[in-house]
Amino acid sequence: MGKSVVIDPITRIEGHLAIKVEVEQDRIVNAECRGEMFRGFEVFLRGRDPMDAQQITQRICGVCPISHGIASILAQDMAYQIRLPSNGRLVRNLIQGANFIQSHIIHFYHLSALDFIDIAAITKYTGQDPILLELKTWVEFQISSKMLYPAAPFLPRYESQYLDNVEINIQAIKHYLDALEMRKLAHKMAAIFCGKIPHAATLIPGGVSEHVNAQKIINYFEILKKLHVFIDTVYLPDVIAVAKAFPQYFKMGKGCNNFLAFGVFKESADSDITFLPGGVVMSSNYMAFNSSKITEDVRYSRYSSQSGSHPTQGETIADPHKTGAYSWLKAPRYDGQTMEVGPLARIIAAYVSGKSPLVTTTINQTISQLNIPFEDLVSVMGRHLVRALETKLIAEQCFKWLDQLVPDAPCVEPFTIPSSGEGVGLTEAPRGALGHWIEIADKKIKNYQCVVPTTWNCSPRDDKGNPGPVELALIGTSVSDIKNPIEAARVVRSFDPCIACAVH
Amino acid sequence: MSFLMVTRRDFLKYSAKLAAVLGFGASSIPRISEALITLSENPSVLWLQGQSCSGCSVSLLNTDDPGPAELLIRYISLQFHSTLSTATGETSIEIIHRTIDKGGYLLAVEGSIPSTMPEACLIGEEPLNELILKAVRSAKGIIAVGTCATFGGIPSAENNPTGAMGLSSFLKEKGITPPVIQIPGCPTHPDWIVGTLVHLLKFGMPELDTMGRPKLFFSKLIHDQCPRFPDYEREHFAKFFGDKGCFFKLGCVGTNTYADCTLRYWNSRINSCIPAGAPCIGCASDHFAKNSKFPFYRIGTDISTSSGH
Repeated sequence: MGKSVVIDPITRIEGHLAIKVEVEQDRIVNAECRGEMFRGFEVFLRGRDPMDAQQITQRICGVCPISHGIASILAQDMAYQIRLPSNGRLVRNLIQGANFIQSHIIHFYHLSALDFIDIAAITKYTGQDPILLELKTWVEFQISSKMLYPAAPFLPRYESQYLDNVEINIQAIKHYLDALEMRKLAHKMAAIFCGKIPHAATLIPGGVSEHVNAQKIINYFEILKKLHVFIDTVYLPDVIAVAKAFPQYFKMGKGCNNFLAFGVFKESADSDITFLPGGVVMSSNYMAFNSSKITEDVRYSRYSSQSGSHPTQGETIADPHKTGAYSWLKAPRYDGQTMEVGPLARIIAAYVSGKSPLVTTTINQTISQLNIPFEDLVSVMGRHLVRALETKLIAEQCFKWLDQLVPDAPCVEPFTIPSSGEGVGLTEAPRGALGHWIEIADKKIKNYQCVVPTTWNCSPRDDKGNPGPVELALIGTSVSDIKNPIEAARVVRSFDPCIACAVH
Repeated sequence: MSFLMVTRRDFLKYSAKLAAVLGFGASSIPRISEALITLSENPSVLWLQGQSCSGCSVSLLNTDDPGPAELLIRYISLQFHSTLSTATGETSIEIIHRTIDKGGYLLAVEGSIPSTMPEACLIGEEPLNELILKAVRSAKGIIAVGTCATFGGIPSAENNPTGAMGLSSFLKEKGITPPVIQIPGCPTHPDWIVGTLVHLLKFGMPELDTMGRPKLFFSKLIHDQCPRFPDYEREHFAKFFGDKGCFFKLGCVGTNTYADCTLRYWNSRINSCIPAGAPCIGCASDHFAKNSKFPFYRIGTDISTSSGH
């Protein structure tokens, strides 16, 4: 009989997640992902004005509000039959691109890196950088003090094997601090066109409410230059350094090996062509995506609603005491299958489909540089690596969208809200495929359903008992010390979970 | 000061050691001690998230002068924050409970509280509702961060299934009425949090209005400080988003929302909602999103003739 370990809460992700694992002979043999929070967005959206949706759904998540706002206005664009003006489409891409950059940077440095780098190495610092000296002084002072938890929130931590090269550790700590400023800059860059972030003001059906002028273009350009340099010369090299120090993580946390991407960043108003293409990859085979194959099961979720419904028929009826249920997440499935979403899914869909020569070249170069086979990307370290590569690709594409803007040309197409209509908004959040489905009757929201990235990744078992992707990635993972199950935490964090999103 | 964790003698001893390590002369000791005293007086902050989106935490990381790193090492001692703490699992719960047992911390609450469905927010298998009741008892000060924690916000919208409410209302229901500093905003502005914290630490309790909001940030209406106020006066009203003119007829609620966004601006002061062509939706207001019959925007049927600009 194995030992049961509960990691609750899993910190350094967004929101309230608990992981329960059973460990037998140092190996996880069973895992449960438990989403421990619920607000009921799909319940209280009903009966409201349709245009409340893009503001309300942004509040599902403070890390990826832009993607929720975009999913909502895409659904409304469809319901109101609006054709986007070019500036409106480009500005949406620039806002969403800026938030992808922000989210990926914070995920690596502030949420994940402390699982690999040794923060205590700062006490060995001998250089003259003022902020590092101050940090060193602070840590030493805190440790010598009688504080309950000195150097919080950086200590305590799992006792484990961290990176042992002092120089790389200290550089990574410096980069942790630099990255705080960089992610802030990425938000500033988004706000040039979205008014404020988190929770943007300008995202509306028909385009955006902000206008384009030379000053805004040049402000965005200058910040983007700084971010691009950081991504190229700091973020990517740091991820590669961590990858080289922890090569075993290219073999860990594989998951379900099925991938789903909706595609993101529209390249045309008249077609579904996106910069990062969508698609489905099962057993290494690419298939076109068909949204009618999405269903959500609730047998193990705290809902009494009908199980197995398509989002257009979906309901959200809370049942907090439901027998056998262990999560506030529903269990989305595609054609009945468990699917991983996120940067890895996007890159694999692009690579396997051959639809993006840029992605193919980038991935080929990287795997040859690291001397790893393609299939090793499906792993804990592969997710970190691919996320960093995607950040670079998006930043570089932002320059191109910026170039296509026309100062003072319209950014929004006026519209009226029809008395009835339906729409679906499919896009990507930094952490994966995101869909919003809206049904309008009497000019009010009749039904609204969101199927969200972490709902896919951290889903509980489906009606047939099949585990979700993170549960599968945990099963089989070796844990060397069950009092410090850092391996499990590393597997979970590689998916960049956002529980506020997932439960909504 | 009550937050002082070590004695002045300890400081001087440590400073001397540090000065020697850094190779400074004895004359530099008082200066360094001063810096260290500021450092060491950092009060413990315990940050708990209820039904939140983490947007206020993310917004706090957008703070300028002090930046986020300076905030963490020079101003506060963040004992626990779910999104930032290295500690995970059992250790996190131990930190939360030992901090509560020791007392004397500032409690920051982000997100609403599911008053009628305690299962809708659990931390370490314990309902947040119960944890909050313990945490407020031994806190030295309590700050509700963001509109969800102050007034209930989006999760407390009409027809919500969890009985979501702000911290003060929840505590009042339980018969507890400690002073709670209310910092609304969806999200709240980093200056509002940092400004309130620094006031509290350096100068004591800031002046609050009848709703518990610091007057420094929430004493004036958006409308009275709006760059488009002259348009309102001249009855030059925008017909659509992004138009020039006052947004009042598009549903702007700057006329009854207290905050300083239009002067302060957001994200390192680069932009704000109204300057970006969008009406104020009242995200810092006590009735934000509550009434489902009161939409954020009002768009008429004649807007198809609008140029959009």
